Parts: sequence; structure tokens; C-alpha cells
Amino acid sequence: MKADVTVIGGGPGGLVSALFAKRNGAKRVLILEREDELGGILKQCIHNGFGLELFKKDLTGPEYAERLIDDINKEGVDYMLDTMAIHLSKDRTITAVNSKHGVFNIDSKSIVLAMGCRERARGNLVIPGTRPAGIYTAGVAQRFINIDGYLPGKEVVILGSGDIGLIMARRLTLEGAKVKGVYEIMNHPGGLKRNIVQCLNDFDIPLYLSHTVMEIKGKDRVTGVIVAKVDGKMQPIKGTEEFVKCDTLLLSVGLIPENELSKEANIEISSNTKGPVMTETMETSVLGIFSSGNVSVVFDLVDYVAETGVIAGKNAAEFAKEKWENKKFINILPGKNVGILFPQMYSYRDDLVIFFRSKKWIEKTVDIEIQPLNMKMRRFYARPNEMIRIKILKDKLLSVKDDITVSIKEVKE
Amino acid sequence: MIKHFTCVICPMGCEIDAEEEKGKIISLKGNKCARGKEFVVQELEEPLRVLTTTVRIEGAEFNMLPVRTDKPIPKRLIPVIMEDIAKIEINAPVKMYKVIVKNIAGTKVNIIATRSM
Ligand code: SF4
Repeated sequence: MKADVTVIGGGPGGLVSALFAKRNGAKRVLILEREDELGGILKQCIHNGFGLELFKKDLTGPEYAERLIDDINKEGVDYMLDTMAIHLSKDRTITAVNSKHGVFNIDSKSIVLAMGCRERARGNLVIPGTRPAGIYTAGVAQRFINIDGYLPGKEVVILGSGDIGLIMARRLTLEGAKVKGVYEIMNHPGGLKRNIVQCLNDFDIPLYLSHTVMEIKGKDRVTGVIVAKVDGKMQPIKGTEEFVKCDTLLLSVGLIPENELSKEANIEISSNTKGPVMTETMETSVLGIFSSGNVSVVFDLVDYVAETGVIAGKNAAEFAKEKWENKKFINILPGKNVGILFPQMYSYRDDLVIFFRSKKWIEKTVDIEIQPLNMKMRRFYARPNEMIRIKILKDKLLSVKDDITVSIKEVKE
Repeated sequence: MIKHFTCVICPMGCEIDAEEEKGKIISLKGNKCARGKEFVVQELEEPLRVLTTTVRIEGAEFNMLPVRTDKPIPKRLIPVIMEDIAKIEINAPVKMYKVIVKNIAGTKVNIIATRSM
């Protein structure tokens, strides 16, 4: 099988990439999706707040997905459902499997990785105690309620204040469960402020910062958890332990890019983002393999996912038309107070959109500084839970020879 | 009386203290722009929210159809509306934006499907 651009994954990142590959002139664009319909995680995210950037409308996840799928069909993008990519090689051959074709190969002029991310599960955490039923990641519970129509529990404790956990606190409450509290080990919330307000405050659900779950109680089913306050080093403080009765524990402790396939193709993975090391064109370290959405870095807005999809799709189409070799690169480095930063390289082909997070919770005026461009942007705050996005036009970058550093500096008032 | 609000109109999320008497604002502290005042006025008068939830569907691939209100509704009516919605069961096929319940709980707001199924 042959394709100009093959997109692995049919969630928002993949759908937008495929659409923009097609709109930029790629002839055969093919999406491989392992589930039986397109849309990815959006289908279970029934809440609103999506699409303000791309569609200029406040949409729910399913609406956002259906609009993209309609566009995919209109533009004649091909897709194969129930199809799993099982191998990826450096020369852009994908091995996939489905019940119709068995195991087959796709030779593609360019590829966009859009496998998304997965939830950190209990295995990644160390909570001692038994392993009773009633422990779920927030995303799994979301699927149970919103798609299967089954309430996972009646009295719930949520560990971690990531966005999915906050949204599930509201969803569980609406469906009649009692959410006892959201416990966050950091001294600031992990999710967006609007979710704290609309999901917790609206329903009087308490948020306990600097708290963690120390132990899970129960033999067959969870009967409760022991929570405690933590100190500055995130160590539980003796004497603050408290038993909270519950039958369900939800984990909302973060997401990690899904890069099993990327590793097989020897794509370099960044220890900072846990996704591929990438250029501004969304190209990975392997020529002609691009990446978009949460497989590159975990975003907090689907609109940002879509934006990387637009860039990856367009450049994958261009690569399919005329192969290129990157001759010149500079690095883009995190400077003072910058944690996660993406993309990591600039290759002088496109405008540069940088996404990054503050390492520190700074609730006063800061300057975002980009050197050696001497760019300075003032902001009222910098918070780790809100990604910052900055776009720099290609014209401004063509004369830059040295590595680019992005820093967040507190302004002395 | 001083009431506390977190404005959610933009990502800034200003923490606003409003001094209020009989629903009228006497003074505001903490809002960085005028939209924050509008937000507090609305919150004092009648907090409005878009409700998103699901209804049971027969004859579709999945058990649940996602739905939402087509306009924001008074927050205090959410429990009543959830009870009404829980009683509904509909049959596939359904097109996105089809009206599932008209004028729910007398609010003049409709419950609409948010996907085709
Ligand atoms: S008051 Fe203005 S600046 Fe502050 S959160 Fe509301 S809209 Fe944003």
C-alpha cells in the first residue's frame, strides 16, 4: 500500500494533521485509527470549552470531533478503522494490522505521528496498601460514565488535580456520587483555573493542596484512603494522617506522550517533554516523520493540539511533494524558570511557535525574554498549569545564528 | 457583605472581592478589567452555566448519547434538570444538534444532542 501522507492516530491531532496535509496538496492522505471510529479522546470529553481558537465557538468534545470528521470526509481523506500500527521504520514504512488485510505494509512519503498520550496509572505511583477494586484513572472513569453509562462508585476521592480529574469531580457529582475531595500533592492546582471554579467551587467540592493519599484501605473493594499533609519536600507530615471513607479512588496524576512506535523508528525522545525532539515544522529527528498533538508534549488545550496539527500536516504535505534535508539547525533552550519547552530546534523553514511552561508559580508581573532576539513580553503572571504560547515570524529568525533561549523573569516593582 | 469570586471570563482568573448590599455592588476589588464586573453582576443576580451530560440511547453502538443545553441555564436548576434528563430514553439514529427535550423544566432552553449516533 502506498500513501503520500500517513497519519497514525485519529484523535484531534491526527484529524487536523490529515486535513491540513490534504488542503496543502498531498494526494493520498491516510489515517490509521485503532478504534472503530475517529475522534479519539474527544468523544468521551462531553463537556464544553473546546474550539474557541479553531472554530471560534464554545464546543463540547464530541461536537469538535464531528466537525473535524465532516471536514475529513468532505476533503476526501482516507482512513482505516480498527487498524493498529505495530511497527514504524526509519525509511517511512509502517506495518499495520487489521482483520480485513491481516498484517500489511504502507510505504508513505511522509508520516505524522498522532498517537496522543496515556494516563499515568497506579503502577507509576507508589501507594502502599492492598489492590482492591474501585481504583481507576480519571479517563477510564470518564469513559465508563459518558460512553458506557455506568457509575464507577458512590463515594469518591480524587488524587491529583489535573483537568480530567476536576472535570470528573463535577461529572460524578451531577450523576449523584459524593466526591469527598480532590487531593493535590503540589501547593498549586494542576488543572486550569476555570475548571477549579466551574467543577469544584460550583459544587462545593473541597480541594486540598499539599496533600496526598498515603494508603488505600479495603480488601475486595476500596473502603477508604488515608490522606496526609505534605511538607515542602512532598514528604507526609507525621500526625496529619486522616482516614477518608470512600468506595472509589480516581487518579488524575498526569499524562505521558505515547511513544512506543517512535522509539522503534529510533526517533530521539526528549527527557524534558517525553515526546520526540522536534523542529518548528513539527518534524522529528527522523527525516519525513512529523508529529502532532499530545504525542509531542502534553498540552492543556485542544486548540494547541490542533495548531501543531496544522503545522505538521502542512509540512508533511510539503515533504511528500519534495523531500528536503535539514542543513542548519539552532537549539531552542529553556532558560530561567522555564520547565517544559517545545519545539527544541529551529530549522529556518517556517514560522516558530514555542510552547512552554513556567517551573514556578509566579503570581506577579513577569517578562518573557527571548534571546538573542531581544524580545520581551510582559505578563501579569506565570503559572505551571497554563502553557504559554509565543509565535515568532520566520523573517525575524533568518538572521539568528545562535541558540534561542526562552526565560521568565520576575519584574521588580 | 463581602463576597468572593474567581472570574472565569479569561485565563487571568482574577480573585475578586465584592462588597454587596441586597444584590447591589457597592465596591469591587481585584478585577483587572470591566468584564470582571459584568461577571460578578451576573453571578450575584443569577449564575448561569451550560449543562453537559448524557442520555440513554437504544439501538446505537454505545449506551449513552452526549447532550447539552443550547443556552446557559440558571445554576440552581441543574439538579432538577438532571432528574428530568435521567428519565429520558431515546432511539438511534440521532443527528448532531437534534432537540432531545424542548423547553426543559420550563426554562425555554432545549437539550440538544452533541453528536450523531
Ligand atoms: S476580571 Fe478581566 S482580566 Fe480578570 S479574569 Fe475577569 S475578564 Fe480576565
